[in-house]
Amino acid sequence: MKGYNLGELEELILLTVGILDQEAYGVAVLEEIKNQTGRKVNISAIHTVLNRLEDKGYLKSHMGGATEERGGRRKRLFSISATGRAAIEEVKNVRNKLFDQLPPLALDFSHGY
Amino acid sequence: MDTKLKYHPPKWPDRFLEFYCNPSRLEQIQGDAYELFHMNLEERGLRYARFRFLIHVLSFFRWGNIRRSKPSYQTYNHGAMFKNYMKIGWRNLSKQKGTTFISVFGLACAVGCCMVAYLFIAHIWFKGMHQPNKNEIFQLTYTVEEDEGKITYGTVAEPISELIPENLNQVKNQTRILTNFSVLIHNNESFLQRSLYVDSGFMEMFEYRMEYGFPGALNEPDEVILTHQLSEKLFGDTHPIGQEISLVTDGTEKLYKVGGVMADLNDMDMFNFDLLVNIESSHNTSLDLPLKDAWSSELWTFVQLEKGTNPMDLNPGLAMLKERQNQINPEKPYLDLELVAYTDLIYKVDQIERGVRTFLGLAPQIVLGAIATFIMILAVFNYINISILMASRRLKEIGVRKVIGSNKWQLIAQFLSENLLVCLMAIVLGSLLAAFLFLPGFNDIASKNLKIDLFNDKYIWMFLAGMLLFITLVSGLYPAIYITSFKPIHILKGNQQLGSKSVFTSVLLTFQFTLAIISIVAGVAFVQTNYINSNRDWGYESSDKIIVNVPSPEDYTPLKNKFAALASVNEISGSQDYVGNWIREEELIYDEQKYEIGLLNAEANYSEVLDLKLKQGRMFNPALISDTEESILVNQKFLDRLGLSFPLTKKITLDSVGYNVVGVVEDFHTIYFQSLIDPLVIRASPDSTFNYLTLKMSAGTAASSMEEVKKIWHETIPRGLFEGKLQTEVFDHEVKDVQGVSKLILFAAILAVVLAALGLFGLVSLNMNSRIKDFCVRKVFGADLGDLSMKLAKRYLIIWVIASVLGGGLAIFLVSTFLNSFFAFHSGVGLIPLGLGFLVLFLVIVGTVSSQIMKIVKANPARILKAE
Repeated sequence: MKGYNLGELEELILLTVGILDQEAYGVAVLEEIKNQTGRKVNISAIHTVLNRLEDKGYLKSHMGGATEERGGRRKRLFSISATGRAAIEEVKNVRNKLFDQLPPLALDFSHGY
Repeated sequence: MDTKLKYHPPKWPDRFLEFYCNPSRLEQIQGDAYELFHMNLEERGLRYARFRFLIHVLSFFRWGNIRRSKPSYQTYNHGAMFKNYMKIGWRNLSKQKGTTFISVFGLACAVGCCMVAYLFIAHIWFKGMHQPNKNEIFQLTYTVEEDEGKITYGTVAEPISELIPENLNQVKNQTRILTNFSVLIHNNESFLQRSLYVDSGFMEMFEYRMEYGFPGALNEPDEVILTHQLSEKLFGDTHPIGQEISLVTDGTEKLYKVGGVMADLNDMDMFNFDLLVNIESSHNTSLDLPLKDAWSSELWTFVQLEKGTNPMDLNPGLAMLKERQNQINPEKPYLDLELVAYTDLIYKVDQIERGVRTFLGLAPQIVLGAIATFIMILAVFNYINISILMASRRLKEIGVRKVIGSNKWQLIAQFLSENLLVCLMAIVLGSLLAAFLFLPGFNDIASKNLKIDLFNDKYIWMFLAGMLLFITLVSGLYPAIYITSFKPIHILKGNQQLGSKSVFTSVLLTFQFTLAIISIVAGVAFVQTNYINSNRDWGYESSDKIIVNVPSPEDYTPLKNKFAALASVNEISGSQDYVGNWIREEELIYDEQKYEIGLLNAEANYSEVLDLKLKQGRMFNPALISDTEESILVNQKFLDRLGLSFPLTKKITLDSVGYNVVGVVEDFHTIYFQSLIDPLVIRASPDSTFNYLTLKMSAGTAASSMEEVKKIWHETIPRGLFEGKLQTEVFDHEVKDVQGVSKLILFAAILAVVLAALGLFGLVSLNMNSRIKDFCVRKVFGADLGDLSMKLAKRYLIIWVIASVLGGGLAIFLVSTFLNSFFAFHSGVGLIPLGLGFLVLFLVIVGTVSSQIMKIVKANPARILKAE
């Protein structure tokens, strides 16, 4: 397999959408990332990434859940697709595989210090 | 309701978001932005929330979110769509070659005419605009108070140019310019050439392309620069540099060497000249003259400022110069000494006396512009009519396109793009027509040197592009909007009738016919006038007479004696001016009333030499001394103007001397028929004042003796310019002018008729095609040729009648005004031009209709009716 090309922010947002499960939309993702990682991401960047991930087929979306705060506007709710799931797993596996091959950072005195 | 909902996000960013945002994404984006606003409002307060809202709106302004007319992935289809339009357009055009030809040819003729008119008008208004330094060059002008008010002159006192370097330090180059017609002598042949006396700075300010030599040649006082044309004339193929020529100015001859040859001037150049001469070399430099005389000699002075200098900075320096002048010449103080930008000179022609350009010649511009507009209107109307009819065959296509989902503007775009194709062809063809047919012809008529210079003239590109856009929109917009406005259901049901009987088409056709009639009437009336004028009696016998010029008074007697000795010369007489040319006006007093009257000073036998016709009284008698001192002859017009009858009771006072009127001659034309005959007085005067000699030759010998006369003249005056001519030739120049105009108008008339005929042909044939079944049914039922023709022609004949009435009325008014502005003597708009106009148009209608009727005559109704 050629592999899924996921950027760092893409991976983060894909995971967050997965965590939020049916409740993922722009602001919710923003908040979740802030709470989980303490990272402040620009809302427009999140939108761009969400749209891009949907174009790539990792996310699917539907409109729903209008609230008063939004001026009666609906949210675009994203959920992770099967391909998205596969992608995130693949990324994780590759990372784990590589990580496992790291030499232990143990106290190795063989270099003769 | 929650209290926080009292606050709203700021309006303007919100609107901006709605404006730019792609509608499919607007809801989620706006919703999120609102939600964030309220979160921020709770956490950090209103101001912060509003600020963040703005930031968010701005950060959403990304390529992916911006609304476009089409989603981005469809751009490829856009190109395909236009390609498709073009292809359909091309197929449509090539399917109907005849009508396409009519449209393209008509528009191309119009474009060609417009190009010629444009070039002619542009060469006047854009004069000198191709000079690279044009924005830094200024001319010095001054204003004085005169009787008629303030007058600005383009010339300034000559010594000012010497004071410029010390007073105006922003000046980079300066030049004095003096034009002169000087006699150029080379190999014992003399030519009268326009020479421009300039300072060497001239060649640095103005750029001319040199063919040989270099512009610096003018730094040498004894070198001149010739134009290519003059160099060709003088030296032919031999290398011109270093050749010697001599110039005669103010009676003194000076030898020069040719230092350079420049490419020929074109009509865009500000200055007209044949050769450039260093002003220091010949002109009496002001140093030799007393101070006051030096300051009263004036010439054009141009300066070139350093780049980026504001001309206002020179004002203090100019004020000092003005003061200096006013000290020396206190009786004629300058009110103002000013700089006029080189680029404004043309626009200020009326305001500057003695300027570089003295008049703009509006009349020919108007004539040409009007002709071009006429032809353009005709061609555009042709096109509108034909394209409506052509499109009516495509109604089904339009209906289907609409049903599938094209909106109106898409259909209009489709029609306009087809239209663009036609107009593009017309522009290309029109430029070719102009370049190879119209312009050479026009240059010949108007003795101009206009050309289409696609490489150097950026204005012509602008003109062509503007023209393309203009024609496309003007000719295409109405048909496109009209045709696309139908409801598809009507079209597809088949009950949408269109075209053949529309009022609009009739109105356009009427207008076209009217224009055609006016132009035919103008053409015919002009030709008729020329014919009548060429046979008009000049009022005297013009044959067998030669006029020669006398350059200076001391040449008069020797010249006269030598000519008198010639065997073929019967009689000889001197005159100050000659009949056939401009005659000076003088003030005379009769009965204490003042009159401005033409005065011809001549020898006593002049009236007999010229064969003027005596009406009353007697001619001068050269033997009577009283006749050369106190007698005058007058023409009939003189008596009419003053309301007198011969013999007069009182004396006429001229130059405070009283004269008796001894005779009255019949009116005769001293100037061409463009002007009325003016009152004229002929006075016998002493010999020395005469500038011309008139030789009366034995019958039939005038033309053949011309060479001999010229030889004798040159023997007597070796350093002069011979300007002899036959008396019969005096109006040649005017006749040529008038004939040129008449050719131009005739050409326009023919073009107008051809265009109207083509348009009519297109209309009739398209009409015929759509009604051929109708006609065949009639034929089957026994309609004869007359009925059928009448049926087809009726509408056009009605239009012809209306156009005749309209066009006739307009023509009588317009063409008479036009003739009046050209001639004092003309045929007027009589029956012949009007009748011819109506007839030609009638024949055109009959011709086109009968050519179509022939189709039916030949057609087999069975075959046509069978086909479905």
